[in-house]
Amino acid sequence: MSENISIRVSLKKYSLDSVRYAAHSLGGLVYAFIKPLPGGKVLVELSPKPGTTAAKAAGCARLFRGELEDEKLRERVSSGNRELREFLLLKAMNYQPKPPEKDDSGLTPQQEKELNDLIAQIEGEIKAEAAKGASADPLGITSTWEDKYDPKNGRKKIR
Amino acid sequence: MTPKTAAKRSAKPRSAGLPYFTFRRMADGSVLLSNDAGRTAAVSGKDFARFSAGRLGSGEPLYAELAAKGFVREMTDFEGYAAACSKKNAFLGAGPGLHILVMTLRCNHKCLYCQSGALGAGGRGTDMSRAVARKSVDFALKSTNPGITIEFQGGEPLLNWDTLKDSVLYARGRGRELGREVRLALVSNFSLMTEEKARFLVENEVSVCTSLDGPADLHNKNRTFSGGNSHAHTARWLKYFIGRAAKQVPEYRTFTPSALLTVSRYSLGREKDIVDEYLRQGLADIFVRPLAPIGYAKKLWPRIGYSSEEFARFYRNSLDYIIKLNAAGKKIRERHAVIMLEKIVNGGDPGYLDMRCPCGAAIGQVAYNYNGDLYACDEGRMVGWEGDDLFRIGNVLRDSYRKVMLAPASRACAAASSLESQPQCSRCVYKPWCGVCPVYNYETQGSLWGDMPSSGRCALSLGMFDALFGLLKKPASAKILKEWVQK
Repeated sequence: MSENISIRVSLKKYSLDSVRYAAHSLGGLVYAFIKPLPGGKVLVELSPKPGTTAAKAAGCARLFRGELEDEKLRERVSSGNRELREFLLLKAMNYQPKPPEKDDSGLTPQQEKELNDLIAQIEGEIKAEAAKGASADPLGITSTWEDKYDPKNGRKKIR
Repeated sequence: MTPKTAAKRSAKPRSAGLPYFTFRRMADGSVLLSNDAGRTAAVSGKDFARFSAGRLGSGEPLYAELAAKGFVREMTDFEGYAAACSKKNAFLGAGPGLHILVMTLRCNHKCLYCQSGALGAGGRGTDMSRAVARKSVDFALKSTNPGITIEFQGGEPLLNWDTLKDSVLYARGRGRELGREVRLALVSNFSLMTEEKARFLVENEVSVCTSLDGPADLHNKNRTFSGGNSHAHTARWLKYFIGRAAKQVPEYRTFTPSALLTVSRYSLGREKDIVDEYLRQGLADIFVRPLAPIGYAKKLWPRIGYSSEEFARFYRNSLDYIIKLNAAGKKIRERHAVIMLEKIVNGGDPGYLDMRCPCGAAIGQVAYNYNGDLYACDEGRMVGWEGDDLFRIGNVLRDSYRKVMLAPASRACAAASSLESQPQCSRCVYKPWCGVCPVYNYETQGSLWGDMPSSGRCALSLGMFDALFGLLKKPASAKILKEWVQK
């Protein structure tokens, strides 16, 4: 039976989340216990699971240190891009291929104003819809074929 | 600004300017990167260190490559990124496309790895009635998916031929009335196939799929058949259906049959024999599938099971041999690789429900048991047969489509299989193409969420992805693999 491995980690250098994720990634080989220590540190105890060979267990400290460094990067990349990622995924969910752009809209100033008013109105409606939350079923998962495509609803029938 | 200050600033790590990406350190020291758009880049460990520290010069060829793939935040093509994400997730909201009708629980085989809890051929009370079958077809047609597939399964579905035949005709009729595209498929061991049945299936555009585990000795060892030689039946009818597919007629479309390989312990080390057998039978595809310790296979696991490392080796050896054959001009593809390459190379969704986020349970497929009970997936139905109805989502005779889609199990499976919620998967480089299985997690680890670092399925998937990306790094094998999914 392999012995437990104890590793001290400074929370000034790594976040507790990074420590948790790094420890979790070794879950196939070891049980991990994370204990608070004074001075802004934690003690990570890795206890080999039954079936983990001594050689594999011996490599766990090195694996953990490597994972910890990688987690630090993952955390930075993730937190630094949260809003951008949400924006991109929202854009993807509502993606419509862009129609080819024309050089000139050909609209009079009055028509342009009406168009802008219409866009503002639609944007308001979208906002209101979004505010209804998940119950609005935006993907139509609970809709039947008839709800979505029945000719009586004026929708196009798919063939 | 003095040059000194500028130099100091540029030397500072600019990792805050990195876009979102995931990565994996590969065995050869390189690092594989991927992003939400499903784009990938393989870089050396040294280059990865420079990239992650924001020290990659904009004049370097690697910078241009990474920028084009969406790994340089300032250079992100929002429109292209969103389009790629949208394409690979087009299945969301499409509605269930696969509808599995269990014609009977009876079977005349007793396969070592069977998950379906099949009864003997003489079992009673587990055949689907015509009424339930027709209701099931009607229910399937409620799906908003524009191209549904109704798959007839069992047990051995040919044991309930009258209902199967009626269902085929009914589905074809309803499809015509509604102007809907309905694909029909049969999964059978062929042991009860006759000329008359085969002709009916062909003329009604029913595609057929069977099991082929390799040469006769191996196939018959895995697939015990009291009625004789299972392999001989398989070979005979594969030949028939391949022959029919070769002679297309104007009245109807005829499909090439497909076969599935289930790898048991007895298959290990026999990769070449198995692939050669597929070629001998005239098949152009082989689907190398691992065993799952679910159902009957769970009880026999010590005898027929293997470790994820053993399977990864088997898969890698099979793929190497298939690529070698391709290089020598023989055309055969490995289906799992084809599915993944369709995602990785073409950025599309090939409709493989086991590897999706969320998984296909309820939102991609529905399993209809012989008595009309509905399950989130076929594996969930098998768990139900063992006495645990956790994955039951309704009954076709009683429940509305809306109620079924909103069933607790439908929602729980979607939530549990969201990779963003899985601590390991959310940071995995293979996330854009992978998927978890709540039923597998439940059966092997006791929770829908599971624990990926200790999951055998996760280890298998990692092994298969590693093998595939390893081959994609080599120009010769990459050329062959990409040809498999060339449009």
